[in-house]
Amino acid sequence: MLNVSHLTKKYHRFTANDNLSFIVNDGEIAVLAGPNGAGKSTAIKCIAGLLRFDGEIEIDGHNNKSIEAKKILGYVPEIPAPFELLTVWEHMEFIARAYKLTDWQKKAEELITRMELQDKLNKLGKELSKGMQQKISICCALLTNPQTVLFDEPFVGLDPHAIKELKSMLFEMKAKGTTIIISTHMLDSVDEFWDRVFIMMNGRIEAERERKTVEKSGENLEELFFSITEKNKD
Amino acid sequence: MNAILYMLRKNVKNAVIDTLKSPLKMIVYLFIGASLVYAVIQGFTMNRSVDEQLDPRILYGAYLALLHFISVPIMLKGLSTGSSFFAMSDVNNIFVAPISEKKILTYGIGRQLATSLFLVVCFSAYGSMAIRMFELSIADALMLVGGIALMLIIVQLITLLLFCLCSAHPRLSVYLKFVIYLLPVYALGSVTIFMFSSSMTLENLYAAISQHYLEYSPVIGWLHGFVFGLLYGNTMKAVIYGVLLLICCALSILIFCLTKLDYYEDVLQKAESYYEFRDNIRNGKVSDSDWLGSKPVKLRKQGIRRGSGASSIFFKHLREGARRSRFMFFNINTIVLLGVTGVIGMAMKSFFNSPYRISVIYIAATVICSYIQFFFSAAGDWVKELNKPYIFLIPDSPVRKLIMAGATSIIKPFIDGAISFVFLWMLVGGHIPDIIVCMLVYGSFGCIYISSNILAQRIVGISGNRGVFITFYMGIMVVLMIPGIVIGLLALSNVSGYFTIISASVLGFPVFLWNIFISFMIFMLCKNLLNNIE
Repeated sequence: MLNVSHLTKKYHRFTANDNLSFIVNDGEIAVLAGPNGAGKSTAIKCIAGLLRFDGEIEIDGHNNKSIEAKKILGYVPEIPAPFELLTVWEHMEFIARAYKLTDWQKKAEELITRMELQDKLNKLGKELSKGMQQKISICCALLTNPQTVLFDEPFVGLDPHAIKELKSMLFEMKAKGTTIIISTHMLDSVDEFWDRVFIMMNGRIEAERERKTVEKSGENLEELFFSITEKNKD
Repeated sequence: MNAILYMLRKNVKNAVIDTLKSPLKMIVYLFIGASLVYAVIQGFTMNRSVDEQLDPRILYGAYLALLHFISVPIMLKGLSTGSSFFAMSDVNNIFVAPISEKKILTYGIGRQLATSLFLVVCFSAYGSMAIRMFELSIADALMLVGGIALMLIIVQLITLLLFCLCSAHPRLSVYLKFVIYLLPVYALGSVTIFMFSSSMTLENLYAAISQHYLEYSPVIGWLHGFVFGLLYGNTMKAVIYGVLLLICCALSILIFCLTKLDYYEDVLQKAESYYEFRDNIRNGKVSDSDWLGSKPVKLRKQGIRRGSGASSIFFKHLREGARRSRFMFFNINTIVLLGVTGVIGMAMKSFFNSPYRISVIYIAATVICSYIQFFFSAAGDWVKELNKPYIFLIPDSPVRKLIMAGATSIIKPFIDGAISFVFLWMLVGGHIPDIIVCMLVYGSFGCIYISSNILAQRIVGISGNRGVFITFYMGIMVVLMIPGIVIGLLALSNVSGYFTIISASVLGFPVFLWNIFISFMIFMLCKNLLNNIE
C-alpha cells in the first residue's frame, strides 16, 4: 500500500506539488493524470525517493527513503537511462546483484522475452533505440518483483507489441496484489485497467475518482478529465 | 537574414535578462570578472626585477603551444561536418526556413567565432602574467592577446574552407585530418629531434622550443611568426608571414563563395549528438556516449560476475572500464602523466642531480602532475552514476553506495601515480621514500578532488547551476588542500640530517595523511548525498 500524506514540493518560489494526500491500496492501479506541467512526474519522483519534499510518503508502512522501502519499490523513469557500456543481460545481472536477488535468471529471461529483447542480449545500452531503452527500464524495475511500482509515462516510445505486453503485465501484477501508480496524459492507454484516478492541475489534485463511481455516472476517463481540467481553466 | 539578426538580438537580450534574474549566477560572473580585472591590473602595475624574469624563449615556445592547443581542436571539429556550428534549435527552425545555405553557414560560423572570442577575455589574464614574467611592455602583451584573437578568426575561416572541401568530397576529410594532426606532430617532432641530437639540458630545451623552423608550419606557425616578428621589430618576418596568412584567408573565402553547399544532412546527425552532449555538459552530466559517440565498443568478457548490494556498483564500473580501454586503468591520462614526468625529469635532471637536490624534481613532478590530475578527475565513474536513478534506488546504505561508486576514481590516481613516479625514478634516480610518498600524495589528491566534488554537490545540489557549482568546487578544493600543505611546509622547515635529503617525503607525507583524513571525513559527512537526486 502507498500512503502519500501532505506531499509538498517547491522549487524556489514555484510549487510543483501542493499538499498532495492520497492512498493507493494493494492490488490497485492508480493513474496520475493531468496536463503538461501539472506536477505528475514530480510527484512520482518524490515517491521514488529521488527528490527532497515536505510531507510523508510510506510504502507498505516504511518511509519511502528507507532501505526497506527501496527493496520493495520499482520505478520506471520517464526518460530511460540505461548504462551505456553494459549489455542488456548485464543490466539484469546488475539489478539482481544490487538488490541481492536469488534465482533471478528465469524471471529475467521471461521479462526479456516478453519485451522482445532476446536477440539484443549482448547489445550495449548505448546501441539501443529509445524504445528498447524504455523496455530495459521496465525489465529492470520489474525484475525485483516489487510490491509497489511507479511508472512515469511508460507507454511513450514503446511499439504496439510491447504496449500489449506491458498492459498484460500490469493485469498480472494487479492480480498478485501489487500497488501500481502510472503517471500519464495518454488516457486511452490506461482506460481498460485503471482503478483509481487522481486528476492533477497546477500541482494539486483537483479530483479523485474510483472506476466504479465514474462508470456508474456513465462517464469515461477522458470525459471526466476534460470536464475537470477545462472547468478549472475557465 | 533579418530573421537571423532578429533571433541573435533576442538571444543576447534574453541571456542578459536571464542572468540578471539569477543573483547567484550574477555574483559568480562578477567574481570571475573581478578576478580577471585584478589579474590584469596587477600585471600592469607590479614591477619585477630583471633577475626574476624568465627566458624569453619560454614565451616563444609556450605561445606556439597555446596556438596549437586552441586551433587544432577547432579545425578538427570543422572536419566533422560542422557539428559545433549549429544548435538543435537552429537545425529545426532555421534549416527549414527560406534562407540561403551560405547565409546560414555564415551565421553558424559567426556564432561559433563569438563564443571563441570569449576565450580572448580569459587570455587577457595570461597577458598580464606575461608582462610580469617576461620583459614585456603593455603593447607587447596586447599584441600577444590580439594574436590569439586573430588566430581564432583565421582558424574559423580555415574551418569554413575545410568544411566546404569535405562537404563536396567526403573522403577528403580523412586526408585533411591527417594534415591537421601533422601540425602538432611537426612541432613536437622538431623539438624532440633537437633534444635527442644534443644533450638533454635545460638550455637545449629552450633552444629546441625557439627554433625558427617551428614557424614554417602552415597557419599556426605563420601566425606565430607574424606576432613575434611584430613583437621583436622584425618587419620583414612579420610582412612575409602576414602575407601568407592573408593569402590563406582570401583563398578560404573564395572557395566558400564558389562551392555549392549541401550540408544539411551531414549537420543534422552531428547537431543531434552535439546537442545531447552540450545539454549534458550544461546540466553537469557526463555519460559514456559523450566521448564514445558512435565508436564501436568491443564487449570482451561479459557479465559483472561479482558484487552484492552497493559493491555491485564497483564491479559494474570495472566491467565498463574494461570496455572503455583494454588496459582499464592505463589510459590516455596515464600516458599524459608519463610524458609530463618524463619532460620534468629530463629538463631538471642536469640542475638537480646531486643526492641532496634530487628530491626537488619529485616535488615539482608531484605538484605539476597533481594539478593536471584535476582536469582528469571531472568525469569519474561516480559522477556518471549520479545521472541515472539506479544508485538512488539501490537498497543499501548511502555511505557504502558513495564509497563503492567512487572506488574506481579513487584507485585510478594511485595506479597512475605508481606508474609515473617509477618512470621518473628510472629517468633520474632518487630515494625510495620520496618515490613512495610522491605516489601516495598524487593518489591522495585524487581523493581530495573527489571529496571536494562531493561536498560541492552536497552544497549546490546535484542538479544545481553548473557555474555556481564549479566556483564552489574549486573554492572548497583550495580550502581542503591548504592545511596539508602548510603542515608539510612546517615539517620541512624543521628537519635535519637524513631528512633534508628526502625533502619530498618530509613535505609530502603530512600532505598525504591530511588529504586522506579530510577526504574520509567528507565522505562520512556527505553520506546523505544519495538521499535524493537534487
